[in-house]
Amino acid sequence: MSATELLIELTLMPLVAFIVGMMMVLMMRRIAARLQRRVGPPFFQPLYDIVKLHSKRTQVSHGLIHDIGIVMAMGGYIAAETLLPVPGMNGIAEKGGIITLLYLMMIPSLGLALGVGQCANPNGSIGIARALTAMLAYDIPLVIVVFGVAYAAGTTNLIDIIATQQAGGFETWGVVEMPLLAIAGLVAMHASLGKQPFEIYIAPAEIATGPMVEMGGKYLGGLFVMQCFQLYTTSVLYVSLFLGGGTTWFDFLLKSFLVLAIPVSIAYLFPRYRTEDLLRLMWKWPVMLGLIGIAFVI
Amino acid sequence: MNAYLVLTIALPLLGAFLLPILMRSSIAIALWSGPAILIYGCWTIADIWLQGSTQPISIAIGGFAPPLGINLYIDSLALLFAFAVQLLGLIFWPFTLDQDSARRQSLMLLLVAASTGLALSGDLFNLYVFYELAAVATFGLASASGSSAAYVATLRYLILSGIGSVLTLFGIALIYSKTGTLNLAHLAQLAPAQLNDELGLTAFLSILIGIGVKAELFPVNTWVPEIYATASTRLSAFLAGLLSKLALLIILRLLLLIFHQPEAAQVLLILGILGVVSGELAAWRAKELRRMLAFSSIGQLGVMFIAMALPDGAGVLAVLALAIHHLIIKSGLFMLAEDWGGAIQRLRGSAKMAPLGAALFVLFSLSLVGMPPLPGFWAKFTLITELAGQSEPLYLIGLAVFLLATVIEASYLFRVAAILYQDAPRETLDHEIPKNEGLSLVTATLFGAGLIAAAVMIAPVGDSLNTIAVQVQDIDLYISTVNPGGSQ
Amino acid sequence: MILTLLDELLLFSGVTLLVALTIGRGLAAGWMVTILYGGQLLALTKMAALGYEGGTIASSLSFEVMGQMLNWRFDALSWFFALITLGSALLSSWFSCGAWERDYIKQGGNIWLFHTAMALNVFTMLILLASGDLLSLFIGWELVSWAGFLLMALAGGVATKAAMRYITYAMAGGMAVFGGLALVYSASGSLQLEAVITAVEQISTTKLWLLVILFGGGFGIKMGLLPFHLWQAPAYAETPGPGSAFLGAISSRMGLFAILLVLVKLFGIVNIDNLKVPFTLIDARDLLAWLAVLTIILPTFTAMKQNDARHLLAWHGIGQGGYMLLGIVVADAMGGAGGLLHVFNHATYQAALFMAVTAVIYRTGTSDLNKLGGLVVRMPLSFMVLLIGIIGLAGLPPMNGFVSKWLVYRSLLNQGMPLLFLAAVIGTLGTILSVYKLIHNIFLGQLRVEHEHVAEAPWSMMIPMLILSAIIFITGLMPGIPLEWIASVLQTVGLPVPQYTLGGVESNSGSLDMIWVIGVLFAGFGIGAVIFYSAGRSKRVHQLDNYAGGHFLSADVRYQYSDNFYAGLMHLIGGWYRGSFLWLERSITSMIEFLSLGMQGLYRRANAEFYLLSTALFVIAWAVI
Repeated sequence: MSATELLIELTLMPLVAFIVGMMMVLMMRRIAARLQRRVGPPFFQPLYDIVKLHSKRTQVSHGLIHDIGIVMAMGGYIAAETLLPVPGMNGIAEKGGIITLLYLMMIPSLGLALGVGQCANPNGSIGIARALTAMLAYDIPLVIVVFGVAYAAGTTNLIDIIATQQAGGFETWGVVEMPLLAIAGLVAMHASLGKQPFEIYIAPAEIATGPMVEMGGKYLGGLFVMQCFQLYTTSVLYVSLFLGGGTTWFDFLLKSFLVLAIPVSIAYLFPRYRTEDLLRLMWKWPVMLGLIGIAFVI
Repeated sequence: MNAYLVLTIALPLLGAFLLPILMRSSIAIALWSGPAILIYGCWTIADIWLQGSTQPISIAIGGFAPPLGINLYIDSLALLFAFAVQLLGLIFWPFTLDQDSARRQSLMLLLVAASTGLALSGDLFNLYVFYELAAVATFGLASASGSSAAYVATLRYLILSGIGSVLTLFGIALIYSKTGTLNLAHLAQLAPAQLNDELGLTAFLSILIGIGVKAELFPVNTWVPEIYATASTRLSAFLAGLLSKLALLIILRLLLLIFHQPEAAQVLLILGILGVVSGELAAWRAKELRRMLAFSSIGQLGVMFIAMALPDGAGVLAVLALAIHHLIIKSGLFMLAEDWGGAIQRLRGSAKMAPLGAALFVLFSLSLVGMPPLPGFWAKFTLITELAGQSEPLYLIGLAVFLLATVIEASYLFRVAAILYQDAPRETLDHEIPKNEGLSLVTATLFGAGLIAAAVMIAPVGDSLNTIAVQVQDIDLYISTVNPGGSQ
Repeated sequence: MILTLLDELLLFSGVTLLVALTIGRGLAAGWMVTILYGGQLLALTKMAALGYEGGTIASSLSFEVMGQMLNWRFDALSWFFALITLGSALLSSWFSCGAWERDYIKQGGNIWLFHTAMALNVFTMLILLASGDLLSLFIGWELVSWAGFLLMALAGGVATKAAMRYITYAMAGGMAVFGGLALVYSASGSLQLEAVITAVEQISTTKLWLLVILFGGGFGIKMGLLPFHLWQAPAYAETPGPGSAFLGAISSRMGLFAILLVLVKLFGIVNIDNLKVPFTLIDARDLLAWLAVLTIILPTFTAMKQNDARHLLAWHGIGQGGYMLLGIVVADAMGGAGGLLHVFNHATYQAALFMAVTAVIYRTGTSDLNKLGGLVVRMPLSFMVLLIGIIGLAGLPPMNGFVSKWLVYRSLLNQGMPLLFLAAVIGTLGTILSVYKLIHNIFLGQLRVEHEHVAEAPWSMMIPMLILSAIIFITGLMPGIPLEWIASVLQTVGLPVPQYTLGGVESNSGSLDMIWVIGVLFAGFGIGAVIFYSAGRSKRVHQLDNYAGGHFLSADVRYQYSDNFYAGLMHLIGGWYRGSFLWLERSITSMIEFLSLGMQGLYRRANAEFYLLSTALFVIAWAVI
């Protein structure tokens, strides 16, 4: 592969992710609306929101770290996308592998944590403390799942993991071979999105939306962009691990949207958990399923 | 020439009896005669040493050849200890000019004479006599401070020692009744045939427990903490440093020459382990420095008993190394303790007032717990390598106990060191903080310097100790030296 | 006599010690000693062939004492550890010169003792690293232990107490090793390495078990391996600033060095793997691995509860030691390399972190996490150093800690060890939580009124911190630099060597190229920055410009979330902190206390003659029967 091609891929992959991510936000809002018997926003609403937030006149910064935090939150995901193969484009996936990808996915949250910290608002700090706790909760089952898949495939290279599933057809998909891990992964993924009932760190009624409390204008806009990437990354990662990735863009996107639809639909049916209940839930069922799943794999 | 060696016993003995009389006529002569005698003793022994005759010799006293007459047996080990007795007698000489000084000085001379005798004697009965003499001298010296606590402690010591003597005598009587001789060389010849039974074992155990009183053998060492805490530190240093080692030496000789039963070694091992355990544990809670040193000394002697219990004389080198090391360390520590009496907590801030003393304390402690490259490490190293080589599980238990005891020892010794280096409590005035000075500090420094010298020259020191150990183990050499031609 | 390179190094180190001893009171002494450390480092680089090509350089110093040969030499393993030792000594000493030193003297500290203790530590560590047989290893081991004691105790007060606790543990460890030494000697008849290697093959299983326990436990105490970890955190944390940076960076790694030498090189991982625990499926190696992950998890979660920055870091130091041991115990190419790389990485970020915290203490006088906050505007460079340090500590890209942990994870994945893998990740997650609390409570949130005029740390302290930060980043970007040394080390101790490149490792089952990863990460940040800054200008508000519940707050109202930081988590796991090890330690102490009381009672009794007679009777009866 020539350098130009690689450069094009590295540019296209985040761009595609961003666009698909915005559509996923749209889908999420539409599902919520349907469940609440509303019509829901128009197609370009996410884009409007981003543009609107970035062009607000009042932009309050609490210092350099506040700014850098937002930059890290977006930049981390942009980098992560290049490690996540999509049909026809592998980017630099083979140079990082799945462990690196998982770690890169933590960087946006930590950037956000730094930025929120500088805002000197206890509500924000409490939100971050909760968000990090939530991370401790869902990452444990997630790591078990990743271990199981990588061990079964004998590699941490996502390209190989996808290729193996595609070569063997439906019977070799992760979801068929490792159903328990797939279920555990789905729950962990749901929690990692921070949607109800796991939105403990947003908790508008308790801590005034937590990390977002001091965010306005382009700061909130940055977080919006980050959410687009987050939805995309999470669902694509799941598709790559368990649903054989995508051979064409069509089935790739179909799978991604379907996977995301599950947690989103559930999200709007539930109230919020308390922090310790989230921990308890995460450390009990998905962990147990995951461990049993790994036992099968090994 | 070598016959002058007899004078190292005879002169102090004579001096001990003449000193009170001399004191009446001329104080100056009386004051200087004691040290002069000891210096002469040192010189005589050093002279023999420097002649380089490594071959052991036997000196028959009164012209009767052994086994009929009594004899002195002089090998490197005996010389070494005789020299140490004279030297330490000099170092710990009671240089005071009060009313009791005459009595104390003559008692000291008596103690030196008896101790030298213990080191050199080649005959069981003589050993007993010297042993009793040493005991008598100690009683007098221990009670010399005149405090009621000292009297109580001495009385207790007296009773224990008395019963011990009776037991020793009983053991000797048993041996005599069986073999008809008390000469060690002769006994060594007869032992395999005649004393290798229950009777022999009983005799050994009686002697062991009797002499063990002085050697701080568990459980007949209960006098130790009280005496060391109440008697003058110089005497404590002499007792803990030297006399206990002499008693140990006697037991070692008996074990090597006469009693080869495995049961004998086993008893020694068990009592040694118990001594280590009880001594080190008791020291852990001690609130006074001197008492702590006394308990620690019990523990250290226990270690030497463990070493002695190694079969076939494998532990002789370790015993020697440990004994000499302990001699230096404990003497030094007791000299430091002279000015550091009372509760340990009182010593806070001492390091600022007496930096040298505190540094010496740390040095001695480090060597005692066996920090390389100080000599204590090598002594312990020789012991543990021998212990680990034994297949009997009891020896491995001994090894484990020894190692654990060292941990405890380090813990309490460095608790004291930490207190020394702490800042003094705010309301304390400078002169209230005890500090070492004068003679005791000089003496301790001397021991410290000796320790460092030994550490630097560890290779030659180790080699010469090894030579001595090999010589001691050679029973045939002992027999043929004392009784040339008559060994068959 | 011709001096070998190793002689030169040891001589240099000895001279440094002498200089510190003789002229240590002057203010220039610090600089002098620092320059001498630099000289030692230079002497070490003259031996760089060891690190790149292997081989050994012997010292012309050797003794024979009581039939034991003592000799000293350097190989790749020693060189690697010596490099870290001297590097951290140089930078810590540099840090201590000038401003910090003056402040230390003003507060009544004894700077002479400090420099001497540091020089002594370095000297003894080099001696330990150079040991050429088991006896010289033990000698070096004890020297290092006591030198460490000096450095830990010199602050007095709480520090002395912690040091006392340390020395009891260290003594126990030393004696375990001493006992092991004796057993090895009785089996092989010699303490030379070659003889031991041959003897191990014939040794019985029981004895090998005993040896593994004695050596593993003894050396493990130094590296704070569970359950012997309690001493370490207070002892390191209470040492004066630069001292704790030095100790935290390298001191407990001496234990790992000894484990590598004895358990891995002499005994061989295979032999340890063959030691089965009866009636179970596990063996000695699994046992070690599990101890390692427990050492990762428990201290990390203890760190999370600390309210003093130094203690928090010291507890993490214990936890990170677990990763190193874990990697080495797994012992495949990735694991071994990961464990060793983590030694290097940990030294860099831990030193930087302790220095940053010391800088904060220097300016504010406290390291209490509930009494700080918002310092980022006052001390931005220190903030940056701390940030780089914690990213390294938490093991996130782009810093070096990520690479070593990645290698350890990969080895666990390759070997199919899900539970260990999970435990290692839990440790990392716990670390992330804990270090966020650290940086948040010091540098983020509300600035306290009394810190409004605090200045950035002086340059004498800043430069070493920046150098360390640069190393953390560069070795994160190009882990191939240290991996080249590590490859030689792995060869020396007989472990497989991974295929490394400048940017990471190559492997059929998934590679890592940090140059690319960091490249895209920074490109991502760049794009994020473009998006962010191309939007409208933002208005910078003052840090104390804050509101609560619709009211503006003045600066004297404390409005900072710092205490009980992870309240939700503690609701669940708070009850799991039972202090079991503390309880264990106390109960052992009480037991000794009780026994000691009993023994004293034994000696205090007046009826001694009764003992004597009864013993005599008993013994005689026993003999006759």
